[in-house]
Amino acid sequence: MKKKILASVLASVMVLSMVGCGTDAAAQKEAETATTTETTEETTEDANQTYNVGVIQLVQHPALDTATEGFSDALKEKLGDQVEINVQNASGDTATCATIANSFVSDNVDLIMANATPAMQASSTATNSIPIVATSITDYGTALGIKDWEGTTGINVTGTSDLAPLDGQAEMLNELFPDAKEVGIIYCSGEDNSLYQANQITTYLEEYGYNVTAYTFSDSADVATVVQTACGESDVLYVPTDNVAASCAETINNVALTAGVPIIAGEEGICKGCGIATLSISYYDIGYAAGLMAYEILVNGQDPATYEIQYATDFTKEYNPVIAEELGIELPDDYVAIEMEEEAE
Amino acid sequence: MGIETLIAGMPGTVAQGIIYGIMALGIYITFKLLNFADLSVDGSFATGGAVAAMVIISGHSWVLALVLALIAGALAGLITGVLHTVLGIPDILAGILTQLALYSINLRIAKNQPNTPISVDKYNLAVSLRYKTDALMTVFVIAVIIIAIMYWFFGTEMGSALRATGTNPAMAKAQGINVNVMKALGLVVSNSLVAFAGALFAQFNGNADVNMGRGAIVIGLASIIIGDVLCNAFFKKKSTFWLALGFVIVGGILYYIFIAFVLWLKMPANDMKLFTAIIVAIFLAVPYLKNKMNSSFFKAAKRGGKR
Repeated sequence: MKKKILASVLASVMVLSMVGCGTDAAAQKEAETATTTETTEETTEDANQTYNVGVIQLVQHPALDTATEGFSDALKEKLGDQVEINVQNASGDTATCATIANSFVSDNVDLIMANATPAMQASSTATNSIPIVATSITDYGTALGIKDWEGTTGINVTGTSDLAPLDGQAEMLNELFPDAKEVGIIYCSGEDNSLYQANQITTYLEEYGYNVTAYTFSDSADVATVVQTACGESDVLYVPTDNVAASCAETINNVALTAGVPIIAGEEGICKGCGIATLSISYYDIGYAAGLMAYEILVNGQDPATYEIQYATDFTKEYNPVIAEELGIELPDDYVAIEMEEEAE
Repeated sequence: MGIETLIAGMPGTVAQGIIYGIMALGIYITFKLLNFADLSVDGSFATGGAVAAMVIISGHSWVLALVLALIAGALAGLITGVLHTVLGIPDILAGILTQLALYSINLRIAKNQPNTPISVDKYNLAVSLRYKTDALMTVFVIAVIIIAIMYWFFGTEMGSALRATGTNPAMAKAQGINVNVMKALGLVVSNSLVAFAGALFAQFNGNADVNMGRGAIVIGLASIIIGDVLCNAFFKKKSTFWLALGFVIVGGILYYIFIAFVLWLKMPANDMKLFTAIIVAIFLAVPYLKNKMNSSFFKAAKRGGKR
């Protein structure tokens, strides 16, 4: 019995001391933050100042990977050895995003870069003082729950959006398939960004007189069945920027190509796998733009609260030569063929 | 990042571990006491998050959010219970069916939004990663209260009947215990705790995501087993029920310390889950192997006895 009491006393002491450490460290860090901000303002040109930047990426994914790459490239070009970038990947687990955000805040990094929505939400929960620059987020208003969205967040969060030019994509679909009647949109019901894009493009497509139906799947297991149904009921399919669709592009292609239904894709990666054409943004570019924003915040003292969210400006009309040929569709001259490295071999 | 970062992050990590420990307490009821592999947990954890988020963004307090999440979880458990006891569906399958159904139900609860942000700047929340020391205190107190209630409940006649059902259903039946009612009750209590933890985590993390429950059962089982191993190591056979429950929470904390440690080691992201699995596996294997070495057969072999 004595041992037990001793053990529980020890355990509680341990917990309390941890709590104690936490508070002290936090207070100390806060004091440090205050001093560092002051020095940043005074000595902008200080060549010895090094910046510590933490990157939280939600999941290993080609689009997100290139965005992180763009971000690092931009910061390294601007700051060289003056910046230390610590990239952490949550491997698709929202709970791990919280763990990573927590460690960055404890480390008192100068800036957090959050790649994808749950990463951004976890970081903005973890801190309201360390600037957060996000990327690969479609709509900041939805992701942060801001009702009257006017381009700035008003808090310590800013960044770049991966919103594809949905009006342009609707226009493209109309340009390529003016005679089609039924358009099916396929996406994953678990992805907020996809829902947003689907709702937006539905409005644009309906303006062109199409009947639009949404077909959603919950994970890779039901993709084939859902696409089968969609193909049976549609003349053209639209796939927005969607993580599950991106990873199942081959499955989608197998069904849609056999059924002879062409697909307009939201981004290049999906178009490469199953689409015929896309009006795509570059994830490298939005990552790079986020890197430049981070530089402005770190060195030139920009305030993330009033720093406007930036959108991609360069769009390219691309097409998939392999699928276009198989479906026998001729594309106008201003479309650029996507390089199909794998198929070429 | 030095070791001091890892230590400074501890309050947040421990708080997160306790929240998952509370979820593991729910799983403990089905897995350990009822001997029922309940996979509906992955769904009901997210149900708790979704309900809490909707209640909070509609302007109600976090108290109501937690209570309604608890009730929603209870209903989810009831579905699994009915599927298993009334319709005779095997336990694992009943849980999987509920989990599957809950995905759609959770989306409906969240008004078809897969991700609902609940910012600590806008709402008054029970816990938040922003104020991790406060969060740690809060979840610690909540965990103690839950353990106390569980300790009391499983000492009552009904609680004992539930435990008897798990230990020996045939014997329990012979004693006049309605085995099916007990199983359903266990599932209801278990999933309400899981959803409660989901509601806490959604607030802690600042969002309710329809995918947040994915893999929750694994974390829960790992916490239970790690806790069990430690409890046996420290207290051997002298462990009591409340200690066993307490060590489930300790298991949850340790699990998240492992995660933080693996991240701190800067493992390549693709290997992260592998390393977490290896660390947990070592934890599970060592006591077993040690036990085996102490077995009379092993000792006999070592002494050179005939096989």
